[in-house]
Amino acid sequence: MPSKRLDDAAFANIDWDEEAGGHSVHWPTVGLLAGLVGLAAAAVHKLRVGGTPFGFIGWEPPRIAWLLLLAGLLGLRYGLYPMVRDRDRTLPALKRLFSRPVGALSAGFVVLSLLFALVGPEFISWDYAKLAHAHQPPVFTRLRVEDVYAYNCVGELANGYCHGTWQYPLGTNRYGGSVVQRLFEGNIVAVKLAVSTAIVMGVVAMVVGTVAGYAGGLTDTVLMSYVDIQQTIPALVIYLVVATLFLGNIGGVEDGKLFSLALVFGLLDWGGIARVVRSDVLTRRSAGYIRAAKAVGATDRHVLRRHVVPNAMPTLVTALTRRIPLLVLIQIALAYLALNSATGGGSLGETLRSSFTDPSGALAWTDLWWLTAIPILFTVVFVLAYSLLGDELRDVLDPKGVSR
Amino acid sequence: MTLLSVEDLSVTFDAETGTVHAVSGIDFTIERGETVCLVGESGSGKTVACESVTQLLPTPPGSIDGTVTFDGEELTSKSERALREYRGGRVGHIFQNPQDALDPVYTVGSQVVEAIRLHRDDSKAEAKSRAIDLLDRVGIGNADERFHDYPHQFSGGMTQRVVIAIALACDPDLLIADEPTTALDVTIQAQVLDLLVDLQAERGMGILFVTHDLGVVAEIADRVVVLYAGQVMERGSVEQVFTRPSHPYTKALLDCLPGRGASATIDGSLPDPKAPPTGCRFHPRCPHAVPACERGDSPPFATVDGDHEAACILHEDPYELPATLGETDE
Repeated sequence: MPSKRLDDAAFANIDWDEEAGGHSVHWPTVGLLAGLVGLAAAAVHKLRVGGTPFGFIGWEPPRIAWLLLLAGLLGLRYGLYPMVRDRDRTLPALKRLFSRPVGALSAGFVVLSLLFALVGPEFISWDYAKLAHAHQPPVFTRLRVEDVYAYNCVGELANGYCHGTWQYPLGTNRYGGSVVQRLFEGNIVAVKLAVSTAIVMGVVAMVVGTVAGYAGGLTDTVLMSYVDIQQTIPALVIYLVVATLFLGNIGGVEDGKLFSLALVFGLLDWGGIARVVRSDVLTRRSAGYIRAAKAVGATDRHVLRRHVVPNAMPTLVTALTRRIPLLVLIQIALAYLALNSATGGGSLGETLRSSFTDPSGALAWTDLWWLTAIPILFTVVFVLAYSLLGDELRDVLDPKGVSR
Repeated sequence: MTLLSVEDLSVTFDAETGTVHAVSGIDFTIERGETVCLVGESGSGKTVACESVTQLLPTPPGSIDGTVTFDGEELTSKSERALREYRGGRVGHIFQNPQDALDPVYTVGSQVVEAIRLHRDDSKAEAKSRAIDLLDRVGIGNADERFHDYPHQFSGGMTQRVVIAIALACDPDLLIADEPTTALDVTIQAQVLDLLVDLQAERGMGILFVTHDLGVVAEIADRVVVLYAGQVMERGSVEQVFTRPSHPYTKALLDCLPGRGASATIDGSLPDPKAPPTGCRFHPRCPHAVPACERGDSPPFATVDGDHEAACILHEDPYELPATLGETDE
């Protein structure tokens, strides 16, 4: 009897086809779990034993590195792995991205910014700032120094004007520190913050948004009520309290405040993004292809993973790239107000603040225009590049190839 | 053995403003190799009826009463997990709007492969070659190249062919086609219908075909089930129903067809599914209604001729059958 055969087949199939999605072991997830367990073990070691759990490679991680490691694990599993697995979709999308002028420029800037921030410090070493080289103008510009007491011009001094040199392409600040180096370090701070919060926020917002939107009913109500409550808590105030009380400069580690900024915003600021993802999923839940997938016998898990999440991805990316540059701006503003890193954390905000407050008096801050203009310009370009990349990615990820 | 037998199927949805009676106690059967058409206006419960077979009802879930027997197995009591084996495995579904039925982020090929691999242990390469065969079979030229195209690169008719290929991915015994040609233009409609007829002849599957287009019914159906407001009004073979419509509703539907004399309309609209009329649900709109039509439950089926039945009290003794419902002059 045919129906008997079906029942047997049903059992034979379900047990390992259904439960493991076609593989007996889903190794990327196993890898993620192993990584998370390893990270947790290292963290416990750090808290209980002290010292560094990464001593065997001679590395003492600053606290923000813990978030970056977590972000790296999640990024590998949910970012890089799907991209490599679906490379026949990823490669054309990348090609499309780089064939658009805005896409190529913003992606180019973001890639360089990430590279310089994450591996740059290993390869680039900076000279110590020489006080004797203070206030050098950028190359191709000149500064009137006739009346300035004890001004030492590194470049050519002619007719009372000091000309910039290639030794300091963007000039120097009042300590003789290179502005290029200030930008480099500001970029590191911004990228660390952006990457660690973006990935933590992205994963949390995606999970909460899809579950709420797809499950609906009570689950939806509970999750969204939680988001409502969370959104009434001002993350900025929590940050100020946490950073001041608990996670400041303990034990000489200087990036405690950046760590707490990333942590507090990563944990408290994903509500809006989750809400956007949820409303997107809500409209897709009744889409034909979701019903069609169920009509061919797909499980809810399969539908979520294969149809709901990939379709909600452009929405998530756009929402994230709107939120993250804002967070970088908040960090810069905090540093400018000296609420972020008291001890020269390298933030662009720090750089800006010190540019406005030159004690020597001989040169007004308007004479030293490069100290404010260049970091501001860099900040604008940084925020623009990350935001525009989001827009471009959304357009490129849309398989129809046109923005709506 | 009867392939699919639906008995006394009722589906209700609990809405905040009251209970919606989408389908109330309908019966029909499908044999292997047979095409049964569910016919009725929009909102008469056709889609809900065929989604109830494998309990694919949209959210919020409706509650299903009655029995659905597929190849000797009772389906309504089966678990979600067991039902998944039927969906796509033994019962294929085709939806009304083909453009919407394919996920825009995947190539059509990978969606056919997905449907295959949900039920078969094929390797990726096996599934791919099977998918290309299927696409080729449903009439997509250059199938191995078009395999890599996205849904938006296909026309409506071509997309519906892909959807049919997906429905056929695992050789279903029953194909449920929910208005598969409604969204297509007329020339493409005919091609898709021909394709379905060919595929049926080749594989001997039963087809449950939902439509409101009587022209399509005449083309494809073996038997017809006429639904109105969630109830069966008339059922019989396509010849019986078309040559001798025995329920005023069927008669009125046929009169609406262009080319059958003065084209007519049915006055009024479908009743509120939250508060269906007593007695015969069609009586408020029926030109032949007598006071008895409003009373009691729905009228029982009266045999017109063999398997041809109509749920109308005018076929019972004390009433005089209107001339238009008697023997036709043809």
